[in-house]
Amino acid sequence: MSQGVLPSTRVLLPLAAAILMALAPSHAADPIEPPGFTPRPTTLHALINARVIAKPGSDYSNATVVIRDGLIEAVGPALQPPQGSRVWDLAGLVVYPGFIDAHVVRPSSTTPTPPPAQPPSLDSLDSLASGVASDPRFLGVPGQEQDPGLPGPGSAIPDVTPQLRLADAYAPDPKLNESLRELGFTAANLAPDRGIFRGLGVAVALGNSSPNRSILRADTAQHVSFSPLPGREGYPNSLMGAIAVVRQAGLDARWHRDRKAQPQGSTPSDFNTALDALQPLIDPQQPLPVTFDPGSILMADRAARLASELGWSARILASGHEWRRPDLLTSIALPFIVPLNFPSAPKLPSDADWDAVPLDLLRHWDWAPENPAVLRRAGIEVALTTTGLPDRKDFRRNLRAAIDRGLAEPDALAALTTIPAKLCGLSAQLGSIEPGKRAFLTVVDGSYFAPTSHVRAVWIDGVAFQFPSPRHDAKTKTAPADGTNAAAKAKPAEPDKRVARNPLTGRGILTNPPAVLVRHATLWTGTTQGVVHGSLLAVRGRIVSVGPEPPALPGGTLVIDAHGLHLSPGIIDCHSHSMILGAVNEASLPSTAMVRVADVVNSESENIHQQLAGGVTAVNLLHGSANPIGGQNCVIKLRDGQPPSGLLLADAPPGIKFALGENVKQSNAGDRNTTRFPQTRMGVGTFYINRFTTARHYASEWQRWRASGQQGPQPRRDLELDALVEILEGSRLVHCHSYRQDEILAFLRTMEGFGVRVATLQHILEGYKVADEIARHGAGASAFADWWAYKFEVIDAIPYAGSIMHQRGVLVSFNSDSSDHARRLNLEAAKAVKYGQTPEPDALRFVTTNPARQLRIDARVGALAQGLDADFALWSGNPLDSSSLCLETWIEGARYFARANEPARVAALKDEHAALVAKARKSAKPADKPDPNGPAKTDAARALFFQRALEHARGLGVVECQDCEASALARP
Amino acid sequence: MKPLPSLPTPLAALLPLAALLGSPHSSRADSLRLEGAIVHTVSGPSLTNAPVLLRDGRIAAVGPDATGPADRVVQLDGLHLFPGLIAPVTVLGLVEIDGLRQARDTTEVGDYTPDVHAWIAINPDSELIPVARANGFTHAHAVPSGGTVAGHSSVLRLDGWTIEDMAVKRVSGLHVYWPSFSLDVSPRPQGPGRDNWKSPEDQVKDREKKLREIDEFVDQAVAYDRARTAAGLGQAPPIALQTSTGKRPPLVETNGFKVVPAWEGMLPVLRRDEPAFLHAEDARQIESAVSWALRRGFKAVLAGGRDAARVAPLLATNKVPVVYEHVFTQPPRDIDPYDVQFTAPSVLSKAGVEVSFSEGTDRFGASSIRNIPYAAAQAMAFGLPRAEAWRGITLYPARLLGLSDRLGSIEPGKDATLIAVSGDILDIRANVRRLWIAGREVPLESRHTRLYDKFKARPLPKP
Repeated sequence: MSQGVLPSTRVLLPLAAAILMALAPSHAADPIEPPGFTPRPTTLHALINARVIAKPGSDYSNATVVIRDGLIEAVGPALQPPQGSRVWDLAGLVVYPGFIDAHVVRPSSTTPTPPPAQPPSLDSLDSLASGVASDPRFLGVPGQEQDPGLPGPGSAIPDVTPQLRLADAYAPDPKLNESLRELGFTAANLAPDRGIFRGLGVAVALGNSSPNRSILRADTAQHVSFSPLPGREGYPNSLMGAIAVVRQAGLDARWHRDRKAQPQGSTPSDFNTALDALQPLIDPQQPLPVTFDPGSILMADRAARLASELGWSARILASGHEWRRPDLLTSIALPFIVPLNFPSAPKLPSDADWDAVPLDLLRHWDWAPENPAVLRRAGIEVALTTTGLPDRKDFRRNLRAAIDRGLAEPDALAALTTIPAKLCGLSAQLGSIEPGKRAFLTVVDGSYFAPTSHVRAVWIDGVAFQFPSPRHDAKTKTAPADGTNAAAKAKPAEPDKRVARNPLTGRGILTNPPAVLVRHATLWTGTTQGVVHGSLLAVRGRIVSVGPEPPALPGGTLVIDAHGLHLSPGIIDCHSHSMILGAVNEASLPSTAMVRVADVVNSESENIHQQLAGGVTAVNLLHGSANPIGGQNCVIKLRDGQPPSGLLLADAPPGIKFALGENVKQSNAGDRNTTRFPQTRMGVGTFYINRFTTARHYASEWQRWRASGQQGPQPRRDLELDALVEILEGSRLVHCHSYRQDEILAFLRTMEGFGVRVATLQHILEGYKVADEIARHGAGASAFADWWAYKFEVIDAIPYAGSIMHQRGVLVSFNSDSSDHARRLNLEAAKAVKYGQTPEPDALRFVTTNPARQLRIDARVGALAQGLDADFALWSGNPLDSSSLCLETWIEGARYFARANEPARVAALKDEHAALVAKARKSAKPADKPDPNGPAKTDAARALFFQRALEHARGLGVVECQDCEASALARP
Repeated sequence: MKPLPSLPTPLAALLPLAALLGSPHSSRADSLRLEGAIVHTVSGPSLTNAPVLLRDGRIAAVGPDATGPADRVVQLDGLHLFPGLIAPVTVLGLVEIDGLRQARDTTEVGDYTPDVHAWIAINPDSELIPVARANGFTHAHAVPSGGTVAGHSSVLRLDGWTIEDMAVKRVSGLHVYWPSFSLDVSPRPQGPGRDNWKSPEDQVKDREKKLREIDEFVDQAVAYDRARTAAGLGQAPPIALQTSTGKRPPLVETNGFKVVPAWEGMLPVLRRDEPAFLHAEDARQIESAVSWALRRGFKAVLAGGRDAARVAPLLATNKVPVVYEHVFTQPPRDIDPYDVQFTAPSVLSKAGVEVSFSEGTDRFGASSIRNIPYAAAQAMAFGLPRAEAWRGITLYPARLLGLSDRLGSIEPGKDATLIAVSGDILDIRANVRRLWIAGREVPLESRHTRLYDKFKARPLPKP
């Protein structure tokens, strides 16, 4: 391309012409401009003498590309430029298919405002489709609510706006387009930015044509995230709430479709723009894909599962943290749109500050450039995007870093061309240089992936956008002639080598013998055998014998001589929030029975290792206590290293969290939260009767429909009421946070009235006052050992409660409700001996056998008995003695914790940390010079570095100890 | 540590003893011999079946010397006798129900409030006091918080009709909450709080400014002390101690010198009459606080001390005792072993640091004092010698509170403040059976035992 010969084609069309063209029906029209306007250039071009990479793997040297009327007419070596074509000599340049940025976030066009108050309908049958929980406005009675939601038709949840179409309000942003063109991009898929259902994206050309000509394809995908709008009190305001919203909307879309197809039902179908907008997702012929923005690798897995549950076609916006769990990528098996927003090591005020930088952040910093390669190695289709970069200009540098760390160049090219074209549904038009495709090209003076090359031009719909010559650019700088200029000096001499290990390294099973014999131990069986001396044999994960040593051992049996040591069943924590991703409460609505802790199990939590070190093997992960009817719980085993699905205790019956008292009536939530029903203990009781009555009506509506041979429209599935019906049917266990004796008794009687036996009363501080009633009802009591005086309703809490209830026939367990206490539940059990003289074997059962029975998992765990899972803890002495230590913890015959292994584990972590700090400090940028535009960019880069993975977030609404948190909320 | 400078005339010479030490009980002018117990002297060896003779509220003799005549004899039949337990940093008496603002008196407003004193806000009838006592606690150190210099703590005897009975030491420490050395690296918020956000560099500047402020504050206090002495008031106790005796109106102006209550509050720590309690958690914060106190020539106690084990040599060399509040804190860093906090007291102890144990001042700080021995027990399970664990809840707190002449071990001459336990006090399963404070036996009844007795006796339902 000879400089200066060509007239500049970088012409901004005058406004009038743009309007004329906007009205023109076809972009191929080549009108003569009105007099006074710059005439349009020719639309017939021949690009000659170029190296043409027509698509990944197809490379012509000395080739020609012929462009006519915005389309590629021909491509290949030794082609003659057609008659009348404008010839561009591109000798020495490389022509790529025009690059496509797969995900550029743009603001959604409308801002939701709260709707006028409407009375929530509670009891009538009509409310089945919009019960309390489905009605996100239920944060106060009419006129008093704090957060009334969104006006207009559609969903009442402001986060659910699938009907928003970016195409409707699209106007090219010249600055954005130019910044992308400079990087070689010719097209981009725009994605809306806020809410859960964010709306429909649009693929656009990055020229500066009118919107009508720029839009390549409207409605490329529905965009879904798990991030509720920030700062709202309404439903949903948690990660698990967001997932519940997505699930319900997916079901509603089908219900809406069926109802429209069967209009003979009694009620006319809703005019619902949101549900209408979801219809393309379930189109059986050509489903519109969903792009999930899950925010973390575990939630990417959740998104993939949700998509298959709802029958959606999906792709994932990468969080950049996929390197953490490459094992999940194979099962996700969806395309990923991958930002290259790699953190860079920040300058810290002092060297000592580096010691405080968590290993996890350093690992991410070190792994980030390798993430695209990790995805490809797992066979994932990858498209790239500039999204998330604090400065878009870093894109090429980071792409180079990704290639240096294993991303193959053809894969990188595909990730910029064919894959994003496919994801946008534009494969027929873009993505490769082939006859018939649109003339979108990227011209580089060398390999795009070489850091020294320059993008010289991009072609967008047959129009060239050229960039200034780099030589000219270099001349303007005063570069010393001796070649020691700063750029040459800054060249990294050595390739970046990863120092960080994968976090799965050093985690998980330490030993997994075919059989294990623990001999000469004191065995706390948890059964009628009591405490005996002898041996325990486990084969293939199950306990085979307890007591006398079997005469013959299977081959390969690992023998542990436990002389002087004690063996107990693995400890079971009946009340924990330690491995929950995001917030522990969906605190908005008085009933959130539709949210599921199982959706947000955090398999990456450090609490797993810490609690294994306290002998814990199984944990009941409960929703918090912010509402009378909370979310569904999830019972897991601490199989460290497994992904969330591998932690689930499959045989555990489902359950749900309920709560009474101060937390649910929001007494400790400050003066602002005073409008949600209930605000008194009277109202708590009222609420249960209301919800279970509604659930019964709901159940009978379904029953009638089924009994009628499924005539008429199918009733709407309501995930909240589904859960309540399961409770009524006895298939879902109720775990109810409760304090005072009056509310306990009232609750038991209410549930008895609905024919429900409560599985456990949690905390149950005044349970000792009504122990006989609890025993007669048959509920278990899962108590704190000795917490008291932290809030008013615990004024009568006494540490003797466990013993009294036990003596009066209640099935008692002690729980932690705290990631600290969970590490020493054996010592909490010892308090039952101290306060009320519960015999020692019974006391240890408070944290082993009894929670297993309360959770109905005692056929699997909770005792040392033949046939049960080989889950056990080995102690240096009596586990109730505060001078004893947990030495080993086994789950299903595999060793997950060994105290003897800890020094080596920690030494490896410390070495890794030290090596990473050394590396990071070396690459940390020197202090930024004062720069008027600097601080914002520095902040953004620093924020990227210090952003913790969701799995390791602290604060941010993530609470370790739910009940004490409630009282802490009252603090300023 | 430097030798103690010669003190000015002891404060006690100017004040009635009762003002500083609380009024004596009247019902203890007799002698009592405890027999049959295993006596854990804590300061020395444990003695099996050794008698202990109590007289006039004091321990008169231990072992063979204790066989003389006594007014009464109590058989302890194999119980374990320990000195009364001391909670070295608590909010006992300052808070009743932590969740209720009405029931919290722990945290005052203001950055520098050395004129705040804890003892005047203690509720002698707090339900939490008998609960702490029931597990062997005879003394607690109530600590104020809020700002940088929060005020003075007071040592309470957990038995008495009034605060004057209970306040064994009204001024027992000045509480300095050291500026944090950790950086808040959260990004600048888009909405509210945007203007309050500070870059890490600015946070460092703020911290340095705050550290200079502290020094400046002390400089001013020193200047005040000199001017006060020059005005002839060198021997007069700080105004808070003058007024609290109620004997005569306090000095407020002499020779043109005007008394300022806040500066008066700095005198005890300047004169080394009381230690500065340095509340600091991370290693650099601890180093900074301790070296400041040493430079200032203050008596120093480190409180909190989450990362103290990482700076153990500094603490040992300078004989700075530690009130360790973090045995059950989860590991602060993701490269720490799971037991980093469990082993910290052992690391400190091996380095030569005296470690006391506390449940801290958070929302369970007052209600779970009874569990302090189990923090010590956990440290013992992870390497701390048993005798050090005992001392960490008895003798070491007594020492750092300046009361080891009277409390903290079973030795002749000390207060007859003792507990008889069914086993080792470090064993959760053991129960305190009897308790004496300065010779007076105090019942172990509490709200908890009353409710227990009441509902244990609820008639069983008819079958």
